[in-house]
Amino acid sequence: MRKRDIFEFALGALASNWRRTGLIALATAIGVSSVLLLTALGEGANRYVLGQFESLGTNLLIVLPGRSETVGGPPPLLGETPRDLTVDDAYALIKDASIRQVAPVIIGSAPVSTADGLEREVNVFGTTNELLEIQRLGMEKGVFIPPSDPRRASSVCVLGFELARELFGTDIAVGKWVRVGNRRFRVVGSLADSGVTVGIDFNDIAIIPVASAAALFNRQSLFRILVEAASENDLVHAEQVIHQVIASRHEGEDDVTVIAQDTVVETLDRVLTTLTLGVGAISAISLAVAGVLIMNVMLVSVTQRRAEIGLMKALGARLIDIRQLFLVEAFMLAVLGAIVGLVVGTTGATVLAKVYPKFPIAIPLWSFVVAVMVAMICGVVFGVLPARRAAALNPIDALSKH
Amino acid sequence: MRTLDIAQLTLGAIASHRLRSVLTVLGIAVGIAAVVLLTALGEGVRQFVMGEFTQFGTNIIAVTPGKTSTFGVSGATISSVRHLTTDDAVALLRVNSVQAVVPVVQGNARVKFGQKQRRTTIIGVGSDMPKVWQMDVAGGSFLPNDPFESSRSFAVLGSRMRTELFGSANPLGSRIQIGGDRFRVIGVMESKGQMLGFDLDDTVFVPTGKATELFNREGVMEIDVIYREHDSAENVAQALKNVLLARHGQEDFTIKTQEQMLSVLDSILELLTLGVGAIGGISLLVGAVGITTIMTIAVAERTSEIGLLRAIGAPRSQISVLFLVESAILGAWGGLIGIGGAIALVQIVQLLLPSFPVALAWVYVAGAFVMASVIGLVAGLMPALKAAKMNPVDALRAE
Repeated sequence: MRKRDIFEFALGALASNWRRTGLIALATAIGVSSVLLLTALGEGANRYVLGQFESLGTNLLIVLPGRSETVGGPPPLLGETPRDLTVDDAYALIKDASIRQVAPVIIGSAPVSTADGLEREVNVFGTTNELLEIQRLGMEKGVFIPPSDPRRASSVCVLGFELARELFGTDIAVGKWVRVGNRRFRVVGSLADSGVTVGIDFNDIAIIPVASAAALFNRQSLFRILVEAASENDLVHAEQVIHQVIASRHEGEDDVTVIAQDTVVETLDRVLTTLTLGVGAISAISLAVAGVLIMNVMLVSVTQRRAEIGLMKALGARLIDIRQLFLVEAFMLAVLGAIVGLVVGTTGATVLAKVYPKFPIAIPLWSFVVAVMVAMICGVVFGVLPARRAAALNPIDALSKH
Repeated sequence: MRTLDIAQLTLGAIASHRLRSVLTVLGIAVGIAAVVLLTALGEGVRQFVMGEFTQFGTNIIAVTPGKTSTFGVSGATISSVRHLTTDDAVALLRVNSVQAVVPVVQGNARVKFGQKQRRTTIIGVGSDMPKVWQMDVAGGSFLPNDPFESSRSFAVLGSRMRTELFGSANPLGSRIQIGGDRFRVIGVMESKGQMLGFDLDDTVFVPTGKATELFNREGVMEIDVIYREHDSAENVAQALKNVLLARHGQEDFTIKTQEQMLSVLDSILELLTLGVGAIGGISLLVGAVGITTIMTIAVAERTSEIGLLRAIGAPRSQISVLFLVESAILGAWGGLIGIGGAIALVQIVQLLLPSFPVALAWVYVAGAFVMASVIGLVAGLMPALKAAKMNPVDALRAE
């Protein structure tokens, strides 16, 4: 039998039972499109989270005061220790070439109020000029905390996007005075809208010089030191340097925890990818069910076309020809479903991406390959049994039935 | 037609195409099994997490400094210009229905005994901590009820900390050094195990006042309050709020009841279970399409039979009932097999991996069965109606 004949034969069989063909293609399409859509959602979540971290700077090491020897336990996130981690500790770190810059951070909460009596309790960040670059913050108006001696408590502050709106409405905040706790600060700048962020919400925040925060909250100890390594290759070395420098400054006691943002991001990436794979695999169960359906319909088709098969065998068709006929038909059923599923899945993902422009929905490449391949493999594998049945028919019996 | 006849006709139709029926049923069974298994996993995780949280009791209210920020902890936990103090804790104790308060300060320090040392979590608490956090003392006694600002330098070790520092020796009465300060060990706690990754056994408990000195802090991080079990959490929270408002003049604190937290958590986890169930449900949908397909084929094959039935006086409704019953039986059968298989699998997992969180969500199991039957009915609707609409004359002529 010629290839073309086989194709035409299979196509004809599919077209003559169009209702049945449509239903099976629908079943396969449901499977394929759900795999595509769900993995697209998972991939979108993954990209979103990674993007959030990326926007918070790269080659970033976070130094927390305190170190816990509990195996596998969480790092001491609250960062209270008997021995303070100080601004001087932070600046002692930049002497090494592997460290580009550091930003000491003190965090606390205080009410911020205007001369008009508007007040809002927000998180207050005490830090230095370097934070702007390390965390890649964008300015809406004015300037960031100016570079100066970190030990000097100057009375300037920068307001987050939302805080500036809440306190000053549409007025320009820059140049105005605000009261943070019991101290007065001049607003020198306001941050650009940072959107929804993971971790710290830079929209609802007041940033003041680190020495001013130390005075305001009456504490010397830093909450964090953000360290930017000179390059990705320097991260490991920088981490060692941090431990050494801190230990030498703290009477030999290495009492800090260093977290590399990259490892956090990697872990998150792994978790989210696994999740996406899991969701994809669960929805792929439906493709297996679709495969069972293909087998079922092909079996029916074999039964219904006994006479036809008998005739072909009587005319000298070989076993392999009959088998190929039915395999091709099953395969084409699966392909048809896969194509419809691809169209529906990609359209769905595109629509979702349009509706939620901030959420980077994207069907991962592997998902296309896997969904279509699984569908096709299902078609062939589940087509084998019916095809063998057809081929095994005795021509005399098959013909005599009708 | 009698009910018995309908049953015989449909069962006969299913039995005469054994392989076809088995495959159709298999499709539904896989879908139902996926739903039951996935929801069992979701339910298991829910029970595990809820168990972790309720081990501190449910009649607990946490007061933290600062107004809540959208994300997690407010900066006020670290430092604030308006502190939450041990005096606030004492004032809260006077609220009617409050049984105990524990002001909490947490930090990290080096603990030394002789040559041995270990860096770990130090938690400053009040004497009522065992009652509030539902932990038991294994040996010695817990911290005495000293006034917060003048408490004595006593320490109580978590069970892990005790073995790390003292091995099998008796720690009671020994002096340990925490940071720069010296403490006398007066008790050891029972093991509480891990709580969502946080090890309460690898800690040292000291009086709150001593912890604030140690970490050079002015305020506490949290005040935990327990109230009489049958009182309304909302009323108690309101009373606490009034006391603190009177003391601070403004709402610079956050009150969270365990009830609120648990209900939020519970609804999130239930949503998650629903979500994974829905993803499993996609397979069920595909299985349903399978029933529709097979019923369409069956209707086409049995055209002459339908014609005959109509010719001898069967009304249209009876024809559709025949096919509907057939598809519903296929669906329900698939449902039973799927549920049976899934339950067996869950039992095996529970036997082999007892710590793995699976628990059959019976609501979903029952729902899955009902759904399977309903799906069978709905999937059979289109073919059944088609069968009913047939003109008997045409149908008889078909073959």
